[in-house]
Amino acid sequence: MSLNSSDSKLDHLNWPLVLCTFLVCGLGVWNLASATKNAPIAMWFVQFRWMMIGAAAVAAFLFIDYRWLSTMAWPGYFAALGLLAGVAFAGKKVLGARRWLSVGSMQIQPSEFVKIAVIVLMARYFTKDEVGPRKGQYDLLDLWRPFGLILIPVALVMKQPDLGTALVTFFIAFTMIMFAKVKIRSLLTLLVSGVGVSIFAWQNLLKPYQKDRVRTFLNPEAYAKGAGYHAIQSVIAVGSGQWSGKGWGEGTQNQLAFLPEQHTDFIFSVWAEEHGFLGGILLIGLYAFLVLAALDVAANARDKFGSFLALGIAALFFWHAFINVGMVTGVLPVVGVPLPLFSYGGSSVVADLLGIGILLNVSLRRFMF
Amino acid sequence: MLIRRDADDIREIRPRAALGALVVLCAMLVLVVRLYQLQILRGEEYVTQSISNYRKSLFVPADRGMIKDRNGHTLVDNRPSFDVFITPAFCKGKERDEIIAKLSSLLQFTPEDVEKVKLDYQKSWLSKDRLERFKPFLVELDIPRDQVDLLEAHKTELSCVDLIPSPHRNYHSAAALGHVLGYMSEVTPDEMDDHPEYRRGQTIGRRGLERRWEKELRGEDGHENIAVDAKGRKLDKETNELLIPENERLIPATPGNNLVLSIDERLQLAADAAFPGRAGAVVVMEAKTGFLLAMVSRPSFDPNKMSGRMRRVDYQKLDEDPLKPMLNRVMNENYHPGSTFKVVTSLAGLEKGAINPQSTIFCNGGYTMGNHRWRCDKPSGHGSLDVKHAIQYSCDAFFYALGDRLGLDLISDMAHRMGFGQPTGFDLGREIPGVIPELKLLNPNTGSPKSHAINASIGQGEINVTPLQQAIAYAAIANGGTVWKPQIVRRIEAPDGHVLRDFQPERDLANGHDGRLDVKESSLAVVRAGLAAVINEPGGTAFRQKLPDLKWAGKTGTAQVVTLGGKQKLDPTTQAYLSRDHAWFASYAPADDPEIVVIVINEHGGWGAEGAAPVANKIVQTWYQMKKEETAAGAAAAALAAAAKMAVQ
Repeated sequence: MSLNSSDSKLDHLNWPLVLCTFLVCGLGVWNLASATKNAPIAMWFVQFRWMMIGAAAVAAFLFIDYRWLSTMAWPGYFAALGLLAGVAFAGKKVLGARRWLSVGSMQIQPSEFVKIAVIVLMARYFTKDEVGPRKGQYDLLDLWRPFGLILIPVALVMKQPDLGTALVTFFIAFTMIMFAKVKIRSLLTLLVSGVGVSIFAWQNLLKPYQKDRVRTFLNPEAYAKGAGYHAIQSVIAVGSGQWSGKGWGEGTQNQLAFLPEQHTDFIFSVWAEEHGFLGGILLIGLYAFLVLAALDVAANARDKFGSFLALGIAALFFWHAFINVGMVTGVLPVVGVPLPLFSYGGSSVVADLLGIGILLNVSLRRFMF
Repeated sequence: MLIRRDADDIREIRPRAALGALVVLCAMLVLVVRLYQLQILRGEEYVTQSISNYRKSLFVPADRGMIKDRNGHTLVDNRPSFDVFITPAFCKGKERDEIIAKLSSLLQFTPEDVEKVKLDYQKSWLSKDRLERFKPFLVELDIPRDQVDLLEAHKTELSCVDLIPSPHRNYHSAAALGHVLGYMSEVTPDEMDDHPEYRRGQTIGRRGLERRWEKELRGEDGHENIAVDAKGRKLDKETNELLIPENERLIPATPGNNLVLSIDERLQLAADAAFPGRAGAVVVMEAKTGFLLAMVSRPSFDPNKMSGRMRRVDYQKLDEDPLKPMLNRVMNENYHPGSTFKVVTSLAGLEKGAINPQSTIFCNGGYTMGNHRWRCDKPSGHGSLDVKHAIQYSCDAFFYALGDRLGLDLISDMAHRMGFGQPTGFDLGREIPGVIPELKLLNPNTGSPKSHAINASIGQGEINVTPLQQAIAYAAIANGGTVWKPQIVRRIEAPDGHVLRDFQPERDLANGHDGRLDVKESSLAVVRAGLAAVINEPGGTAFRQKLPDLKWAGKTGTAQVVTLGGKQKLDPTTQAYLSRDHAWFASYAPADDPEIVVIVINEHGGWGAEGAAPVANKIVQTWYQMKKEETAAGAAAAALAAAAKMAVQ
């Protein structure tokens, strides 16, 4: 592999993406400092350290051609399954869920890395393992294999239980399948029948107590803690931000602990309460830019593998941001999904930055062999 | 230079990526619209909700107004004390049981108390209103100092228990003024529905002045608004000041107004001490105004006890006491007036021309009408008497004859004019009207019209009066014919002492004669002469009550107890007591320029002259003593002022 001069390499770096990432990271740490102002340790600094580690990993990764990931896809996938199995047997139980693995003094959350592994595997599957659809385009029968591959880790994550991450993982993989050569007709059949059957079942087949079970299943936190307290407090926090917010560190919902999980799942509520509608548009705009930039990388990748990787990362950021903001503003049920690079958590930050790294790598190498 | 290896594969991704970009933009737009809806359209509403999240209103109880006697002596004030409350939301399950057990051992609860606490807890927890469990409920009222210390020492183990300082009523004169003052007890849920300004666990006036003047005495509670975090913890001063605007931090309580009574504490206590009986009443009233100076109803209750911790057995005891301690006998008990009623018959006779002051009637020891003979008190007969002497000796035969001449309705008409047979208008709660019969309303089977008149003439038969009505009637005789409405509150004063309302004497307009007796002064003079002779002339029924330096006047009465209370059991130890007559004495002093009226009824006290007149005597002496002291003090002050004036000159 030959590189051009190091200058030209820097020239080819996707600077808008880098800048946007820095901006989101910076705002994230700043916002986290407010959300955890009353915490006994400087959590923003812990987060910052993880970002540094992630950035270093990204920098190192840029020196390797992303195609190396294709060879690592299966080993990565099985390693991820192994970690999930490890969590199931030796995981640390916090608040009734087994999601963490202890490594030395650190806690890592393997399900965050499983998303990356699934993205890489899907990218490889559709470029290498699956020689092609039997009839030019994938129909429903061709898709059972990729679905099966996804469902194993998704089921393991669901079992922790971590419904949010399981759903997001599935959505990411599903989105990637959508971008493969699936017949539009198959796609529509899948979508329409799925939605139709769900609606029909909900309205005609399910008894009230069964509906309650489904609701509880979809929305466990709200039901566990009574009357959707989290969702209500979050909506109050967001709404009370009005145009320009209450100011950094001045959000009463945040500072007086009315907002639950304010440093993880409900971090956007802190932002919206303290920086208002204008701050909210800015942040949603930054995420939109990230996702669009990722789609742009996908559209202009050197090969299909790179393109699929970028699509996967686009899906990763899109689904996280959309579900998280949707849930804290009360348009979606409360399922625990972190906001990328904003929510507190080392595993999630490193995984998200690795995603950015993959984008940069794919984007960088469209100019070289 | 751009080099692609599998440009073909990429080509079909492009349109899908473009479609994806569109979907992404739409999704993000949905989020922005949602933010607009929450933050801009409904922002105000959520700001309000976020404020009500952290804002907590603490209650600042108002000091209840004081009650003072006519000289400014405090009869009721407030003393600091502590009440124990539990907030159900802060202790559940096992913790709750432990805390209740701990509390009951520290406060020495009976098993019954423990049950009540558990019941209250349950009630609050099961309430449909989910906030109900965050409201503290009252566990124990007014605990003694040493228990306060005990609870403070065990504070950490009693997480959901609060000691709330709250002023309690302090009734200085204990039971002596129970019926006048009333007492306080916890407001009921029904009352709170009608009066939302009351909080659970607060007290409200019951009976007497506490109840009648609740609105004036109560004042207005204040609020302290503080900021709390999600766990209800108070925030530091700086944050608190940041979040709560200064003018909303403390809305101070407005203390209640004070009542100044016409009651004279010294006279009240003297009357209470002088009354010897187990049951009965004393009324001391200003003859020229209708203001009460003392009001005793025996047996009484101690308002301090009633306002404090009352166990169910305590209530039961009060309830089952055959002497009915909660009954205010001054205004809510009926008695035959007996011979004290002879003044009414006398006035009716004089006014209707049935007799004149000089007319005499011969008493041969009784009065015969048809085949029935009514005995006089003196079987050998009083001989020939005029009305003055008939009153002096309390000759029954004279009044039987007079009653026979008058008929029932003329006697009743005079009785109504004097305030009998209808409520006096006394503003202290429910009052019974007594009974003054009219012929047309009487069942003919109960006796002939004449026999009714004869029985009524000496205050027996259907005639029933309250001690308060007696005071009004005797005051009217004493003061020359004004029928007053009895009053007990002189002034209502603001906490700073300025007078908000000054009560003036009021005539009882309900007597049908514009609050006047409407009788000739000469008639009154004869009756008064008779009443003075009762005490001051030999042979008077209360001659033994004559005082060396004060001429006073009165009338004895001995009311026959015809029937016993319906379901009352005849217990051999009390039978003698219960079958004894009621002793009355209705009097005023001084005889010539009457200032006070003293009415005494001693239930089952026997002869009026023995069971009641000595009580009145002691009260009149105390009053006279006080009057002399007052005059002396006035003279001394005047002399001092004169001396000072001289010195200045």
